[in-house]
Amino acid sequence: MAATVIGHGITIEGEVTSDEEVLVAGTVRGKLNVDGPVTIEAGAVVEADVGATSLSVGGTVTGNVNASDRVDLLAGGRLIGDVKAARLTIADGASFKGNVDMDV
Amino acid sequence: MARGSAARTSTQQTTGTSVLGKGARVRGRVQGSGDLRVEGQIEGDVTVTGDLAIEDGGAVKGDIDAASVVIGGALTGDVAARGPVSIRATAQVSGNMGGAEVSLEEGAVFSGRIEAEFELPAELTTRHKGR
Repeated sequence: MAATVIGHGITIEGEVTSDEEVLVAGTVRGKLNVDGPVTIEAGAVVEADVGATSLSVGGTVTGNVNASDRVDLLAGGRLIGDVKAARLTIADGASFKGNVDMDV
Repeated sequence: MARGSAARTSTQQTTGTSVLGKGARVRGRVQGSGDLRVEGQIEGDVTVTGDLAIEDGGAVKGDIDAASVVIGGALTGDVAARGPVSIRATAQVSGNMGGAEVSLEEGAVFSGRIEAEFELPAELTTRHKGR
Protein backbone atom coordinates (compact mmCIF):
# COMPACT_ATOMS: atom_id res chain seq x y z
CA MET A 1 0.00 0.00 0.00
CA ALA A 2 1.27 3.37 -0.92
CA ALA A 3 2.31 5.81 1.80
CA THR A 4 -0.28 8.30 0.62
CA VAL A 5 -3.64 7.23 -0.75
CA ILE A 6 -6.10 9.80 -2.04
CA GLY A 7 -9.19 7.62 -2.00
CA HIS A 8 -12.15 7.50 -4.31
CA GLY A 9 -14.54 10.30 -3.32
CA ILE A 10 -11.82 12.56 -1.93
CA THR A 11 -11.05 15.84 -3.68
CA ILE A 12 -7.94 17.90 -3.01
CA GLU A 13 -7.80 21.41 -4.37
CA GLY A 14 -4.35 22.86 -3.99
CA GLU A 15 -0.80 21.70 -3.91
CA VAL A 16 0.19 18.18 -2.92
CA THR A 17 3.84 17.38 -2.29
CA SER A 18 5.32 14.15 -1.00
CA ASP A 19 8.66 12.38 -0.78
CA GLU A 20 6.97 8.98 -0.81
CA GLU A 21 4.74 7.00 -3.13
CA VAL A 22 1.31 8.48 -3.89
CA LEU A 23 -1.77 6.67 -5.17
CA VAL A 24 -4.66 8.73 -6.50
CA ALA A 25 -8.12 7.17 -6.80
CA GLY A 26 -9.98 10.44 -6.20
CA THR A 27 -9.55 13.94 -7.59
CA VAL A 28 -6.60 16.32 -7.41
CA ARG A 29 -6.79 19.86 -8.77
CA GLY A 30 -3.75 22.10 -8.58
CA LYS A 31 -0.27 20.65 -8.37
CA LEU A 32 1.10 17.20 -7.59
CA ASN A 33 4.81 16.99 -6.85
CA VAL A 34 6.15 13.67 -5.63
CA ASP A 35 9.70 12.52 -5.11
CA GLY A 36 8.65 8.94 -5.78
CA PRO A 37 6.25 6.91 -7.89
CA VAL A 38 2.72 8.14 -8.61
CA THR A 39 -0.17 5.87 -9.58
CA ILE A 40 -3.36 7.36 -10.96
CA GLU A 41 -6.02 4.67 -10.85
CA ALA A 42 -8.87 4.09 -13.26
CA GLY A 43 -11.66 6.52 -12.35
CA ALA A 44 -9.29 9.06 -10.80
CA VAL A 45 -9.19 12.62 -12.12
CA VAL A 46 -6.05 14.74 -11.93
CA GLU A 47 -6.28 18.29 -13.22
CA ALA A 48 -2.78 19.30 -12.28
CA ASP A 49 0.80 19.49 -13.40
CA VAL A 50 2.43 16.31 -12.17
CA GLY A 51 6.06 15.82 -11.19
CA ALA A 52 7.23 12.35 -10.14
CA THR A 53 10.00 9.80 -10.55
CA SER A 54 7.60 7.50 -12.34
CA LEU A 55 3.96 7.90 -13.28
CA SER A 56 1.36 5.29 -14.10
CA VAL A 57 -1.91 6.60 -15.55
CA GLY A 58 -5.04 4.47 -15.54
CA GLY A 59 -7.37 7.42 -14.99
CA THR A 60 -7.58 10.90 -16.46
CA VAL A 61 -4.78 13.46 -16.29
CA THR A 62 -5.10 16.98 -17.62
CA GLY A 63 -1.83 18.83 -17.18
CA ASN A 64 1.83 18.66 -17.98
CA VAL A 65 3.77 15.67 -16.74
CA ASN A 66 7.42 15.59 -15.79
CA ALA A 67 8.90 12.26 -14.72
CA SER A 68 12.57 11.69 -14.01
CA ASP A 69 12.25 8.01 -14.88
CA ARG A 70 9.18 6.87 -16.79
CA VAL A 71 5.53 7.41 -17.70
CA ASP A 72 3.16 4.50 -18.38
CA LEU A 73 -0.17 5.32 -19.95
CA LEU A 74 -2.34 2.24 -19.33
CA ALA A 75 -5.30 0.94 -21.32
CA GLY A 76 -8.29 3.13 -20.50
CA GLY A 77 -5.99 5.92 -19.30
CA ARG A 78 -6.30 9.42 -20.66
CA LEU A 79 -3.58 12.04 -20.71
CA ILE A 80 -3.97 15.55 -22.07
CA GLY A 81 -0.77 17.53 -21.70
CA ASP A 82 2.89 17.53 -22.49
CA VAL A 83 5.09 14.71 -21.27
CA LYS A 84 8.73 15.05 -20.34
CA ALA A 85 10.22 11.70 -19.40
CA ALA A 86 13.13 9.45 -20.29
CA ARG A 87 10.77 6.59 -21.11
CA LEU A 88 7.13 6.55 -22.17
CA THR A 89 4.76 3.69 -22.93
CA ILE A 90 1.24 4.12 -24.29
CA ALA A 91 -0.92 1.02 -24.09
CA ASP A 92 -3.46 -0.02 -26.70
CA GLY A 93 -6.73 1.64 -25.70
CA ALA A 94 -5.17 4.67 -24.01
CA SER A 95 -5.86 8.25 -25.13
CA PHE A 96 -3.14 10.86 -25.38
CA LYS A 97 -2.95 14.41 -26.64
CA GLY A 98 0.17 16.45 -26.21
CA ASN A 99 3.85 16.69 -26.93
CA VAL A 100 6.52 14.26 -25.86
CA ASP A 101 10.02 15.29 -24.84
CA MET A 102 12.29 12.34 -24.16
CA ASP A 103 15.24 14.62 -23.49
CA VAL A 104 17.53 13.09 -26.15
CA MET B 1 -10.75 -1.94 -26.81
CA ALA B 2 -8.06 -4.02 -25.18
CA ARG B 3 -10.42 -5.04 -22.42
CA GLY B 4 -8.70 -8.43 -22.21
CA SER B 5 -5.43 -6.99 -20.97
CA ALA B 6 -6.64 -6.87 -17.39
CA ALA B 7 -3.13 -7.39 -16.09
CA ARG B 8 -2.19 -3.88 -17.15
CA THR B 9 -5.20 -2.11 -15.72
CA SER B 10 -4.73 -1.01 -12.15
CA THR B 11 -6.47 -2.97 -9.43
CA GLN B 12 -9.23 -1.23 -7.48
CA GLN B 13 -7.64 -1.80 -4.09
CA THR B 14 -8.75 1.41 -2.47
CA THR B 15 -11.39 1.21 0.20
CA GLY B 16 -13.04 4.14 1.90
CA THR B 17 -9.90 5.17 3.77
CA SER B 18 -7.51 7.76 2.45
CA VAL B 19 -4.07 8.27 3.90
CA LEU B 20 -1.80 11.26 3.77
CA GLY B 21 1.60 9.72 4.47
CA LYS B 22 4.45 11.01 6.62
CA GLY B 23 6.31 12.69 3.78
CA ALA B 24 3.22 14.24 2.26
CA ARG B 25 2.10 17.84 2.44
CA VAL B 26 -1.08 19.43 1.15
CA ARG B 27 -1.59 23.14 0.73
CA GLY B 28 -5.24 23.60 -0.10
CA ARG B 29 -8.66 22.19 0.56
CA VAL B 30 -9.39 18.53 1.18
CA GLN B 31 -12.99 17.33 0.92
CA GLY B 32 -15.05 14.28 0.09
CA SER B 33 -16.46 11.00 1.30
CA GLY B 34 -14.75 8.32 3.35
CA ASP B 35 -12.22 8.30 6.17
CA LEU B 36 -8.93 10.17 6.21
CA ARG B 37 -5.77 9.48 8.19
CA VAL B 38 -3.22 12.28 8.34
CA GLU B 39 0.41 11.38 9.08
CA GLY B 40 1.77 14.32 7.09
CA GLN B 41 0.79 17.96 6.91
CA ILE B 42 -2.26 19.80 5.67
CA GLU B 43 -2.55 23.56 5.40
CA GLY B 44 -6.20 24.11 4.60
CA ASP B 45 -9.71 23.09 5.55
CA VAL B 46 -10.63 19.41 5.72
CA THR B 47 -14.20 18.22 5.16
CA VAL B 48 -14.90 14.49 5.08
CA THR B 49 -18.08 12.48 5.59
CA GLY B 50 -16.18 9.77 7.48
CA ASP B 51 -13.74 9.72 10.36
CA LEU B 52 -10.62 11.86 10.53
CA ALA B 53 -7.49 10.86 12.40
CA ILE B 54 -4.48 13.12 12.86
CA GLU B 55 -1.69 10.76 13.88
CA ASP B 56 1.21 11.61 16.18
CA GLY B 57 3.58 13.52 13.90
CA GLY B 58 0.80 14.71 11.65
CA ALA B 59 -0.28 18.35 11.52
CA VAL B 60 -3.34 20.22 10.28
CA LYS B 61 -3.69 23.98 10.01
CA GLY B 62 -7.29 24.59 9.13
CA ASP B 63 -10.87 23.88 10.13
CA ILE B 64 -12.14 20.31 10.30
CA ASP B 65 -15.58 18.92 9.58
CA ALA B 66 -15.94 15.15 9.98
CA ALA B 67 -18.10 12.41 11.48
CA SER B 68 -15.60 11.78 14.26
CA VAL B 69 -12.15 13.16 14.96
CA VAL B 70 -9.14 11.63 16.72
CA ILE B 71 -6.20 13.97 17.27
CA GLY B 72 -2.79 12.58 18.19
CA GLY B 73 -0.75 15.22 16.38
CA ALA B 74 -0.92 18.97 15.97
CA LEU B 75 -4.03 20.93 15.05
CA THR B 76 -4.51 24.65 14.65
CA GLY B 77 -8.12 25.23 13.75
CA ASP B 78 -11.70 24.54 14.72
CA VAL B 79 -13.36 21.14 14.75
CA ALA B 80 -17.00 20.46 13.94
CA ALA B 81 -17.81 16.78 14.40
CA ARG B 82 -21.14 14.97 14.31
CA GLY B 83 -19.73 12.26 16.57
CA PRO B 84 -17.00 12.10 19.20
CA VAL B 85 -13.81 14.14 19.28
CA SER B 86 -10.89 12.60 21.16
CA ILE B 87 -7.74 14.51 21.90
CA ARG B 88 -4.93 12.06 22.70
CA ALA B 89 -2.04 12.56 25.11
CA THR B 90 0.39 13.35 22.29
CA ALA B 91 -1.81 16.06 20.78
CA GLN B 92 -1.14 19.78 20.53
CA VAL B 93 -4.39 21.53 19.77
CA SER B 94 -5.33 25.15 19.41
CA GLY B 95 -8.94 25.81 18.42
CA ASN B 96 -12.56 25.27 19.31
CA MET B 97 -13.86 21.73 19.54
CA GLY B 98 -17.47 20.94 18.73
CA GLY B 99 -18.86 17.43 18.81
CA ALA B 100 -21.32 15.02 20.37
CA GLU B 101 -18.70 14.26 23.00
CA VAL B 102 -15.18 15.55 23.53
CA SER B 103 -12.49 13.68 25.45
CA LEU B 104 -9.16 15.15 26.44
CA GLU B 105 -6.38 12.84 27.59
CA GLU B 106 -3.86 13.75 30.25
CA GLY B 107 -0.69 15.11 28.64
CA ALA B 108 -2.40 16.80 25.73
CA VAL B 109 -1.71 20.48 25.11
CA PHE B 110 -4.96 22.30 24.44
CA SER B 111 -6.09 25.87 24.13
CA GLY B 112 -9.55 26.78 22.98
CA ARG B 113 -13.19 26.13 23.73
CA ILE B 114 -14.93 22.79 24.07
CA GLU B 115 -18.57 22.63 23.10
CA ALA B 116 -20.14 19.23 23.55
CA GLU B 117 -23.86 18.85 23.19
CA PHE B 118 -25.32 16.60 25.84
CA GLU B 119 -28.11 16.56 28.37
CA LEU B 120 -27.23 16.76 32.03
CA PRO B 121 -28.40 13.80 34.12
CA ALA B 122 -31.70 14.47 35.92
CA GLU B 123 -30.12 14.55 39.41
CA LEU B 124 -27.64 17.22 38.34
CA THR B 125 -30.27 19.49 36.83
CA THR B 126 -32.51 19.19 39.93
CA ARG B 127 -29.55 19.91 42.21
CA HIS B 128 -28.79 23.06 40.22
CA LYS B 129 -32.36 24.17 40.59
CA GLY B 130 -32.27 23.46 44.32
CA ARG B 131 -29.35 25.83 44.92
